[in-house]
Parts: sequence; structure tokens; C-alpha cells
Amino acid sequence: MSEQLTLYLHKIQLALAEANAPYKAYQVDLRNKPEWFTSKVNPVGQVPVLTYGGPNVNPDDPSSLSAKIAESNVILEFLADLYPDSGLLPKDPVLRAKVRFFIDATIKHIEGTYLAFVQGNESFDNVLKAIEFIQELLEEGSDFAVGEHYTIADACISPHLARLKIVTETGIGNFPAGMGYKLGEELEGLKFAKFRKYAQRMLGRPGFKQIHDEEAVIGYFKRRFTNRIQ
Amino acid sequence: MAPEQITLYTAKVCPYAQRTEIALAEAGASFKRYEIDLTNKPEWYAPKVNRASKVPAIAYGGPDVAPENPSPESTKLAESLILVEFIGDLYPSSNILPTDPVLRAKARFFIEIVSTKFSPNFMKFVSGNSEGTHTVLLSGVDAIQDILPDGAKYAVGDQFTIADIAFVPFWARLNLLVQKGIGAYTDEERKNFLKGLEDPKYTKFNGYVQRLLARESFKSTFHEVRSLLCR
Repeated sequence: MSEQLTLYLHKIQLALAEANAPYKAYQVDLRNKPEWFTSKVNPVGQVPVLTYGGPNVNPDDPSSLSAKIAESNVILEFLADLYPDSGLLPKDPVLRAKVRFFIDATIKHIEGTYLAFVQGNESFDNVLKAIEFIQELLEEGSDFAVGEHYTIADACISPHLARLKIVTETGIGNFPAGMGYKLGEELEGLKFAKFRKYAQRMLGRPGFKQIHDEEAVIGYFKRRFTNRIQ
Repeated sequence: MAPEQITLYTAKVCPYAQRTEIALAEAGASFKRYEIDLTNKPEWYAPKVNRASKVPAIAYGGPDVAPENPSPESTKLAESLILVEFIGDLYPSSNILPTDPVLRAKARFFIEIVSTKFSPNFMKFVSGNSEGTHTVLLSGVDAIQDILPDGAKYAVGDQFTIADIAFVPFWARLNLLVQKGIGAYTDEERKNFLKGLEDPKYTKFNGYVQRLLARESFKSTFHEVRSLLCR
């Protein structure tokens, strides 16, 4: 699948790894979808999609008895429901709400504002504000976004943190030249220490290192972001 | 353990806020309700309750104080869908969250469809956006009907869930506005939309929304007059 969608797949793989859940992965070429994918798995034809239950079949011969779950955030919640003792979602209702709020903020500020910046459609100042918003949600003295355990909040943001790191280290993006490096400099400052340390912890996790292919992402970014704003 | 005190900051006009009120009604929860005038918000609201300055918001726990004087000890929570799930978690007996994970996922997917295929088109239509034609609006209806189960009362089965709660305030306001002819769309677009809905292919959808509007928790939290005053 395209790198763009790999990002969403990684959220799910991270959650599965942290929950120690067994699964079979199957790559779907979106430009050449197998017929069985559209008719038997996901009529909308999107990935990622998860099939659950039903007989233990080969991924390319899906059973009509399995449930098909689409949308990465819906899938993350589903995994947390399937593995209630994994810690992917805390049991306490207030903490659960905080995890969800962190995910909501990630969607608005990282998948929204920050992504628009990389695409050349958002100001540098707004990106800093967006990252500041996320930073303020991070609990002081905790290794994770919320609570004492790895949750779907951490799984949701981690693939984005890896790509943010690439942008600040290579300067690749459609923003004006130098802005990627400038963002990196800001994030090295004292003001963003909490965010930076959190990102380092997430990217250092074995579960993360196993699935992240830095070269592939850099290659994708080079092909994708060729329209730098002057 | 019994839930702690709940103070809900809300506005009768707001469909997002109504989601939370419906959830609380389904739960039979006792809570303090505080109306925020969205055109004239109290200056303490953003700094003390919700930085985004929107409704709904909940102050949960902490000492029993007046809503206008929120305590720093209470936990402040926001975002309507998150609050609906929160109430479902606090009050499992409310039954608004299916127990089966697959049904839960279906409910959340239904909500995604409402948020991406219906609500934006509803907003475009009533605000007179040139992209907000009756055809586009009907495509939102199609998207919802496509995932409604056959022979069931509500969005994911016979249980009234977070999926229905997410959708009904929006449908109710659209329905009210087009019935009364209020909104920036042309009269022709309005008539075409209403006519489109009469098509027999929308029988399933029409049955569904009728049942939604008949739900007691919806009726008790819907304020027709105020909703009309919203632009």
C-alpha cells in the first residue's frame, strides 16, 4: 500500500504489538485491488481494515463469517475492547476520556495543522501552537500520553512523530526552504522538552522500531513533496 | 463505586451539546445543567471550563459548587462524542454502548459516516454554500441508509446506542429547518430535498429517523423554539 496509508496501518500494528495480540497482515495493492477485497472485505475499498472472527482462513480467502472493521481509529477502539486487560484503554472512565481527547487532539492538530504545514498550506506559527497544545496534554512525569500504560493514544500519535522527525532532519516538505530545519530547532529548545522527550520514548520502543522503515518514508516524502512554496 | 458530581455546560440550540444531554437522559443520571449563551459567553467559561470556549463540556468530580464557580479540583472534559462515551462508561446500565466489541465498532463507524458524509453537507445546505445542493444532501442520507441494518430499530440493531445519539440532534435540526423553510438554501432546493426523501428507496431511512424523533430522551432534550433561533 502507499506510504500515506502505511501511517494508519502502523497505528494499528503498534496497538496489536503492545497488546501482544496475534494477527495476520495482508498487503493490498490499492491501485490493483483483488476482487475478493472489495466484495468480501471492504466495499468502500479502503485500508486499513481488520477482519475479526470467523474460521481461521488465509487472508486472501476471507470468510463471510468474519466481521469487517474499517477506519483506523475505530479499529484502535475495537482492539482496546477486544483486549480489555491490555491497558490499551484504561478502565477508569475519566482516563478513557483523556485518551480519547488526546486522539482527538492528534487528529485536529497533527493530522490537521501539522500535516497542512508539510503540504505547504499552514503557517509555521500555527504548527508550533498545535504542538504546544499536544504537549500540554502530556502528563508530567509519565512515560505515556495518558496514565501509566501504553494506550491507543500513544499508538495513534507515534507514526506521526516518526514522520515529524524526518521532516525536521531532512527539511523535506512543501513549506518554504529551511522551515523544516527551523521547526527542528524550535523543538530542540527548552520550551518543547516535554514533547521532545515523549517523542524520543515512543520512537525508541522496540515495537515501534520493528515496523518503522525510515528509508521508505524518506523516499516517499521525496516523491510526494516536490512543490515547495517560495 | 457511584459516579461523582457531574456539571454539564450546554446550550439548547447546539446539536453537539444535545448529544450529551440525550446520553445523560438515557443513563437517568443526576447532574447540574448550566446553560451557556453562545452569543455572550461568561468570561470565566474558557479559562475555567473549556479553553476552546465551546459546548458541551463537563466538570466531573470535585466539591459540590455552583456551576458559575467551577472548582480547579474537578476534571474538565470536552468534545461531544467523547462525553457520550464517557457517560456510557460511567453508567453501563444506560445501555448506550453495545457489550459486543464488533457492535461497538459498528456504532463508531456509523458515527464516522455521520461526521464525514452527513454533517458537513447539512451545514453546507443550510448555510447556502453553493456546494450544498439537495443532491449532495441526499448523498449524505444515502451514506447513512447504506449502513443501516435491515429489520432493526436503530443504527446497529434494536438497541439505542451512541450511534443514534450522535445522529439524531443533527437530523432533527435539518428536519425542522426544511419543514419551516428556514436556512439560506433556495426554496427549490428545499422542495427537491423533501421530494427526494419521499422516494420509496428511502423507506428504511425514513422509518429510522421517525423512531429517532420518537425517542423519549431526544424529545425531552430538544427545544424547538430555541433551535429555530440558531442561524
